[in-house]
Parts: sequence; structure tokens; C-alpha cells
Amino acid sequence: MPRKQAVLKRRTTLTLPADSLLQAERIARSRQVNLSTVISEVMAAGLRLESARQRRDRILDGYRKAFTGFSADELAILDGVILEPVRAGRR
Amino acid sequence: MIDPSSGPFIFDTSAEGWLARNASKEVVRWLYAYLGLHEISISAVTVTERIRGYSLLWRRSAPETRPRIEAARVAYLSQLGNVLPVDTAVAVVAGEIMALLPEAPTPPRRSHRLAESRQERLARWRFDGVIAATALVAGIPLVHNNASDFEAIRSAIELSPERFPGLCPLELIRCSLLA
Repeated sequence: MPRKQAVLKRRTTLTLPADSLLQAERIARSRQVNLSTVISEVMAAGLRLESARQRRDRILDGYRKAFTGFSADELAILDGVILEPVRAGRR
Repeated sequence: MIDPSSGPFIFDTSAEGWLARNASKEVVRWLYAYLGLHEISISAVTVTERIRGYSLLWRRSAPETRPRIEAARVAYLSQLGNVLPVDTAVAVVAGEIMALLPEAPTPPRRSHRLAESRQERLARWRFDGVIAATALVAGIPLVHNNASDFEAIRSAIELSPERFPGLCPLELIRCSLLA
């Protein structure tokens, strides 16, 4: 069975909103885990959300830059519809 | 409205462009929700069509405009999500689609003073066939902005199921119905 990789931990001091801390302590008591475990899980979830938000913003910003400043005909070309000037006498 | 959680979807070239350029609040909100759950999946053919478009615009443009076009091309490439390859299975299914439907169901596009040549229309039609084949092989619904082309492909596949063994029907979603 693969052994679970040990996570490197560091001790630090944080100043947290009292009501959030109280809620976290309640959760820790009800799950019979220590406060550090609850705070770590909440922090990991928050970081995942933040990373997802950054990814979304990067994609949306990339799209904006990729398609801004083009005329309707140019956008058609970017969508694979290659339009050429119509020569006289040709339909 | 299509629930973003019912994805992932594959976006055809035109649908990806529609989604990326649409400024309506509902569509932006939908895209934001979708990106929280899935990557944008496209066919490698969409990358071909898009990069060909940037390159053609670059070649046709004045030297002072070229850096802007190049920056747009780099921006497009830098945010690419899940690009599905044209592998053997996709190539086989695309070949079947092209044999079933050798001609495009609609004429070349025209705008005010510009027109698409027959040759270009045929190339675009074949690209659509490869994109549909990619969605079929992946078993993922295809979001499109070109009902006449993709509905024709879906109907043809349904009429010849023996040529597409083991594949589910092509599931299509019009991009205008997303949000």
C-alpha cells in the first residue's frame, strides 16, 4: 500500500476574526480533531477557490485580448470563414 | 439555459468565438460558472482554423497593425484549455462523415464586399466534420454556432449507424441556448 506523503508543516501566529475562530473550534470539537486540522482544511479549500478564480480571470482576460479590436469580417476570418474581396463579374 | 454542471462540452470554432466575444451579462455569468467546473474543450482543428485566421490577418495587414494581431494570437494561445487531438479514431470517424456528406449543406458565406470561395467553403465543411468526429469519439456534447452544418452531420450519422459502431449519437447544443 502506498505510504501517505508527509506534509511539511510550519508553526505561525495568526490573528483571526473571533466569530470565525469560534465556529472553527466548534467544528473541531464536533469532529474530534484539533483546531489546526480544521483551519488547514478551510485554508486549502479557500486557496483552491482562489486558484480557480485566478484561472477563470486569466482565461476571460485572454479571450478579451484575443478578440478585441477586430472588424466583423476579421472576426469571421478568425472563426475560420475566410472571406476575400469579390472581383467584378464574379459571383 | 444549459446547466454548466452538465458539461464538459466541446466548443466548435465559431461557438468558442461567440462565447469569448459575448458581452451579455447572462453569457459572461454562464462562462464564469462553466470555467469554475470545467476547462474549455476544443478540437485541435479549431486551433488550426484560429491560427490560420490570425496568420492571414497578419499577412494582409499593414506593418504597424501586425504587433496588435500577434499580441491577440499570443493571448489566444496562452489561455487554451483542453485541446482534443485528431487521433486515429477521430480520423476514421471524420473520414466516414466526409464520405457521407461530400458537399456542404449551405452555400459559401458572403458579406458586403467579401465572399467565401467554394474551395474555402469545402475546407470549412471538412473542418466541421473533424470537429463533429472529435465530439463523437469523446462522447461529449458539441456546442456550435452553425446549426445547418452540424444538424446535417447529426442526421447523416443517425441514418447510417452501421458506419459508426459503438458511438453514441452526436449531441448538439446551440450556443445561443447556453445562457
